[in-house]
Amino acid sequence: MKSTRLLRKPEGGEKGAAGGVSRRGWLDRIGLGSLAASVVGTAYALVRSLVPNVLYEQPLRFKAGPPDRFPEGATFLEEQRVFIFRQQNTYHAISAVCTHLGCTVKMVSLSQPKTVTIGGRQVQERHEFQCPCHGSKYHGDGTNYAGPAPQPLTWHRLEVSPEDGSLMVDLGSSVNRDFRLTV
Amino acid sequence: MPNLKGIKPREVWRQLTWTWKPASEREAGDSVVRNLLLHWFPAKVSLGSLSFRYSFWLGTISALLFLVLCLTGVVLMFLYVPSVERAYQSVKDIEFVVSFGWFLRGLHRLAAHLMVAAVFLHMVRVFLTAAYKNGAGAGQNRPLNWIVGVVLLLATLLLSFTGYLLPWDQLAFWAITVGTNIASAAPLVGQKIRFLLLGGNEIEQSALLRFYVLHCFFLPALVLFLFAWHMWRVRKDGGLACVDQLALGHKAEKTPPVRTKTYSLLGLTKGRTVHVETALADEDKYTVHAMPHLTRRLLLVTLATLVVLFALTMVVTAPLEEPANPRVTPNPAKAPWYFLWLQELVTISTINIGGLTINGALIGGIIVPGVLVVLLAIWPYVDNTGAATTGVWFAAARRKQNIVFLVVVAVVLALMVVGTFLRGPYWDFYWPWEQWPQIPKHF
Repeated sequence: MKSTRLLRKPEGGEKGAAGGVSRRGWLDRIGLGSLAASVVGTAYALVRSLVPNVLYEQPLRFKAGPPDRFPEGATFLEEQRVFIFRQQNTYHAISAVCTHLGCTVKMVSLSQPKTVTIGGRQVQERHEFQCPCHGSKYHGDGTNYAGPAPQPLTWHRLEVSPEDGSLMVDLGSSVNRDFRLTV
Repeated sequence: MPNLKGIKPREVWRQLTWTWKPASEREAGDSVVRNLLLHWFPAKVSLGSLSFRYSFWLGTISALLFLVLCLTGVVLMFLYVPSVERAYQSVKDIEFVVSFGWFLRGLHRLAAHLMVAAVFLHMVRVFLTAAYKNGAGAGQNRPLNWIVGVVLLLATLLLSFTGYLLPWDQLAFWAITVGTNIASAAPLVGQKIRFLLLGGNEIEQSALLRFYVLHCFFLPALVLFLFAWHMWRVRKDGGLACVDQLALGHKAEKTPPVRTKTYSLLGLTKGRTVHVETALADEDKYTVHAMPHLTRRLLLVTLATLVVLFALTMVVTAPLEEPANPRVTPNPAKAPWYFLWLQELVTISTINIGGLTINGALIGGIIVPGVLVVLLAIWPYVDNTGAATTGVWFAAARRKQNIVFLVVVAVVLALMVVGTFLRGPYWDFYWPWEQWPQIPKHF
C-alpha cells in the first residue's frame, strides 16, 4: 500500500551537508528535549511535594511520667502502644505493635502460671500477648510462638530524664531482651 | 424574522428526537452516527452478542454501577468533610440527618461492593469464554484489552479500598492499618510506598486526605480513561468474541466473503475488519440494528441493575462503628470482604526456612497476589489453543486451564467465606453456631 508522506523532508534529507544532524533535525531535538525536560521536571516537583518534610506526629521519644507512677507488673500506655513493666526498681518496655501487620496486641493474663521454654531456658509466665487481627501469640517476654508474627515484639530503650527524673521511652529504639533500667 | 408559519410542533419534536426512535432501517443506521450518546455503538449487532446467556451483560452492569457511584459520590462530596476531626461526624450526619442521606450512602456503598463483584465475574466470564483471544478479524488485539481489563479490576479494588477509610470509624481505621502494612512488607520499596501513601508513618490527617483525593479524583479519572480505552478496543476488535465464532463458522461453510473497500470514521485504512465482510454483516438472520435492539436491552439491564441496587439499599444498613481509635484494635479486626482472602493468606503463610522467618505479609500479601495478577495479565499469550475456541463457553480444548482457573477462583472464594463468617476473636476458627467468647474491649 502506498503511503502518503505527511511531512516534507528538507532538501538533502535528514542529514546535513557534512553528514551530521541537519539544522531542522537539531532544532527538533532541542524543542522536544526541552519539552520533555519541562514535563519530567514538573512531574518530579509534583511528586516530591507529596513527600512530607515535616511530620506533625507524636514524637517517638517521650516522657511517661515519674517511675513511681507505675505499679508493680505491667502498665499499658494506650496512646503510644507500649507496655511498661516494673519489677521492684527495674523497668523495661515492650512494644504492643504486632510485628506481623501492626495491630495492637492484647495482654492476656493466664489463670494458671505456665512454664515455657524460651531460647532453651525454662521460664514461668503469668501473662502472654495475643494479636486480634491474625491470631499471633507471644510469650510474656515478647517472643513469638504461634501465628503469623515473624519476629518477637520490640523491646524499647528506657531512660531517666536528667531534667525531672521521669521515665523516658524511646519508641524508635530497639534493645536486647536482657535490658533493664534500674532506678 | 423567519417565517414560522406552517411549522408543526410535532415535526419539530420529531426532528429533535428521531435518533431515539428511528422509523426506517436507514434512520436506524443513521441514528448511531448522528447521536453523541449512541455513537459508540455499531450500526448492526449480532444476535449472539445481544444474548444474555453469552455475556450476562456483566461489563455493562459494571459500567452502570460505576455511573451510579459517580453520581452518588459527587453528591456525597458536598456532604462529607475529609478531616480527622469532622469526617466521622459528617458521615453520621449523612446517615441520620441529611434527607435521603442514608439512601445515598447505602447506594454508594452497595454499588461499590456490587461493582467489585460484577467486575470480577466479568473477568471470570471472559476467561471461561476465551474472549481474550483474537479470532477472525484483522487488526484485533484482544490480549491488550484483557490487560486493560485486569488493570480496571485492580483500579476497582483500589477505589473500594480508598473509600473504605473515609468514614473514619474503627472498621475503616483497622482495615486500612492492615492493608497499608501489607504494602510495607514489599521488599525494598514497601516502607516508602506506605510512607508516601499515608503522607507519614501513622494513619492521620494526611493519610485521610490522600485517600480522599485518590478516591474522589485520581482513581475515578483512571477508571474513566481505561473504560473508554476498553470500549474503544471492543469496537476495534469487532465486538464481542462470539462474533468471531460466527465469522469463523461462516468462512467454513461458504465461499470467502467479498472484500470491499471500507471508509471508516477514521479515514481510509488498510486491512479488513469483521464488519467489512459484507456477506456476514448484511445477513439479516445473524444481525439486527443496534438502534433500537441494543439500546432496548441496555435500558432493560439498567433497569434490572437499579432495581436490585435499590432493593438491597432498602434492606441492608450501611454499618458505622465507633469513631476511629488508634489505641484500641477491635477483636477480630477484618479487612473488607474482597481482601479477606488475602488476610487469610497473610495469617497462614508465615514460614520458617532454616531459621529465617519470612513474614506472611510478604508471601500472602505481596507474592501470591502479585503472581496471580502477572499470570492473569500474560495468560492470553500463554494460552496457545487455536482461534476456534474464541468466544466459546467451556471449549473442550481449554478444559484443563478452565479447571485450574475455576479451582483458583474457588479457593479465593472459600478463603473469603472463612474470613468473613468463620473467624472470631484472635482470628480463631469458630463455626457459625459456636458462641464467641466474651472479651473485654480494653486492656
